[in-house]
Amino acid sequence: MPEEKTAIEMSNITKIYPDGVVALRNVDLIVKKGEIHGLLGENGAGKTTLMRILYGEIKPSKGTIKIFGKKVRFRGPWDAIKEGIGMVYQHFSLIPPFTVLENLVLSLSSIAKVNVNEVKEKAKNIIESIGLNVPLNVRVEMLDVGVQQRVEILKVLMRDAKILILDEPTSVLTPTEVNEFLEMLRKLKKMGITIIFITHKLKEAKSITDSITILRKGRVVDVVETNKVNEIDLAKMMIGRETILKIPEKRSRPEAGSVILKVENLHVRDDKGLLAVKGVSFILREGEILGLAGVQGNGQRELVEAIIGYRPVEKGRVIFMGEDVTGRSPSEIYGKGLAYIPDSRAIGLVLDMDVISNSILTRLKNFLSKGGRIVWDKAQSFSSKIVKDFEVVIDSLKAPVKYLSGGNQQRLLVGREVIWKPKVIIAAEPTHGLDIAATEYIRSLLVELRDRGTAILLVSTDLDEIFQLSDRIAVIYEGEIMATGRPEEFTPEKLGLLMGGVKCQVKS
Amino acid sequence: MSSKKLGKLEFTEYEFFIIETTGSVAAGLIVSGIILAILGYNPLRGLSLLLFGGIRNPDYLLSRATFIMMTGLAFAIPMYAGLFNINGEGEMYIGGLTALLVAIYTGNGFLAILMGGFAGAVLGLIISVLRVYRGVNEVVTAIMLNMAIYYMIIYLITAKLYDPVAPHESLKVPASARFGLLKLGVFRIHIIFPLALIFIAFSYYILYFTKLGYEIRVSGLSPASAKYAGIDPNKAMINSMILGGFFAGVGGALNVIGFMYYMDSMLTSMHGMGFDGIGVALMGRNNPIGIVLASIFFSMLILGSQRMQLLMRVPKELADALSGVIIIAFSLPYAYRMLISYLRTRRMIKVGAEHHS
Repeated sequence: MPEEKTAIEMSNITKIYPDGVVALRNVDLIVKKGEIHGLLGENGAGKTTLMRILYGEIKPSKGTIKIFGKKVRFRGPWDAIKEGIGMVYQHFSLIPPFTVLENLVLSLSSIAKVNVNEVKEKAKNIIESIGLNVPLNVRVEMLDVGVQQRVEILKVLMRDAKILILDEPTSVLTPTEVNEFLEMLRKLKKMGITIIFITHKLKEAKSITDSITILRKGRVVDVVETNKVNEIDLAKMMIGRETILKIPEKRSRPEAGSVILKVENLHVRDDKGLLAVKGVSFILREGEILGLAGVQGNGQRELVEAIIGYRPVEKGRVIFMGEDVTGRSPSEIYGKGLAYIPDSRAIGLVLDMDVISNSILTRLKNFLSKGGRIVWDKAQSFSSKIVKDFEVVIDSLKAPVKYLSGGNQQRLLVGREVIWKPKVIIAAEPTHGLDIAATEYIRSLLVELRDRGTAILLVSTDLDEIFQLSDRIAVIYEGEIMATGRPEEFTPEKLGLLMGGVKCQVKS
Repeated sequence: MSSKKLGKLEFTEYEFFIIETTGSVAAGLIVSGIILAILGYNPLRGLSLLLFGGIRNPDYLLSRATFIMMTGLAFAIPMYAGLFNINGEGEMYIGGLTALLVAIYTGNGFLAILMGGFAGAVLGLIISVLRVYRGVNEVVTAIMLNMAIYYMIIYLITAKLYDPVAPHESLKVPASARFGLLKLGVFRIHIIFPLALIFIAFSYYILYFTKLGYEIRVSGLSPASAKYAGIDPNKAMINSMILGGFFAGVGGALNVIGFMYYMDSMLTSMHGMGFDGIGVALMGRNNPIGIVLASIFFSMLILGSQRMQLLMRVPKELADALSGVIIIAFSLPYAYRMLISYLRTRRMIKVGAEHHS
């Protein structure tokens, strides 16, 4: 039998979810045996979905998979494991009160009969051969995140995996741990293990991989050999800006008004308890749009949620109109004149409720009578005002909003927040998933509000939007502001690099 | 999407619901009739007994519906907040016991009913606090509490509260605390039925006209939206369980104060009604008005099947199965709709994939 050179061949993979969301479209992925293959793309590009298909966890709607030249059809991860595939998730699947050894035994016992001493011997061998620094008899909960990750990798190696999938492995690691980690990957490669490395970090992709498949919006943009491209090329491909942007001539008045929102050295933890926002400071003036650019998942959501009082602040202050509002409740902060348009319409609206019920969501207080009854007449006339003023196309005010198109949902959501004439608007991905007409509508609305003196914090992963609307741009990466400046000071390439965590090697 | 098409005709959602319901119940009847015929019973007689046997005594029918109406609410309201309250049974027992004690000591029927509700509410509070702050699944807690309360009350009635004259019964509710009959022309009904309708209206008001109800509904439909709007979904869950417990407790109290006037040592007058409430809430689509209709329909079937057993010698199992067929038929439109939406996405996947290849 000839030596097979291709480890993985996924062709024509399409994944459509039951709700109609197309996660992947005709994606091809070829990984050579023994290489480290990068899978680069922004969040939502489909990287993880593709890998979960390879790992047998979800079934593709279409497409074929070959492992070492053999066509396979996985019914579940157990089938993938038998073919020598192992996956390490961002969220570990270890049992905290068990020791490392117990975790290893448990994971192996799901595929074969094992005895503890054999497992121990084998683990020791692997640990020695790659110099993996893992204690076997310590409870997992006592270990650092970095060590836990090594336990996960050990777990995969114990099953004699030939292919190792790593999903954003460095996102939980500190910079020094990252270096150690990459070193370990090189050792694994020398042992002949094929590695797929999912990331959106350009520097890591460039430094560790042999070749890279770049995904964007569920499609393959390109497959490149790592040593033939630089980080700038990668940034361009990942973000997808082949065309040079026209910066609109209509800039705002150069001098915006007085400072209305001030964020000082904010530290916020995410749901996992990790520090997602690490000392962010910025100011927002009346009559300006500050664009916060960044790849999704770099602390934007946590930052915004901390400002509106939804998420506890670890350290730092939020000052709104000269008043320290850190730790106040969302309703209180909304009441003071701050509006938040969340990045998901499923959060900003209750999709199963009708238009009227949705129009009172964030300011219920204003619709209560003295006796505490909801005055539905008032709510109804209010919602019909939103519908009229913001051109929401609906059948009936009593239809659940899930039947509205995305554009109309967004008009309703934005309209509901804007109609109160807030002093500050935080808009997260305000045009995400909208068609051109709705996008233009929302964008010109934001500009109009800015011209009327409203301060707007625009959180967006869409660089077009950032360039088109912002008076100032701030770039966030791993919970830190990488740079702040006027749009003219950034080129798309530079912005792409900053968003990928590469500090300016480009002249400004 | 407020209208639906059936062939060439177009209906409003409301009309469509009526057609759908009638159609599915008719289908259920036909299937039941076929089963009866195959087994050698007269299908027409059987079905007419099943459907109309319960109507012979409207007062008993409505009284029976009263209790499952209240336990139906006890399931429905927590459901709005996303919780599965199967403690209606226990809450009902404890509500009945509390009402009995209050009635014996104070002689005040209204107070007894309110205190019964209060006792149920406390139970709801305990379960929800365990769920929200300790992560204990509410279903598990409820199952255990149901059993514990059942045996505790049996013990109290047989050992402490028994009536010396009839030892399998508890002490009687004093006359001053009893709710009696309401005369409506030739009809007489127990006063507790209209009283329960007032509680139903009250629950409707809370759910749809107060901040509390709005917060419960938003939290259940979308906890993330609730948090975004500054609503604490945990508090909403607790509130919903308190409310649900209150109504189940009231149900138990109404049973004791306005119908039985005592509790029996095996709790036969309430046994299973907490669970009937779950079915009623599901059938009534968690809507208070739907629950009223469903509980009457449900009681009709139960009484009808008893009548069928009595007059046609149909075994209990078969009679229950036929009621079941009708209830399943009733819920078929849901299943059908789920199937259709599943098929639609399948088709979308095909079209989508071809479109892009």
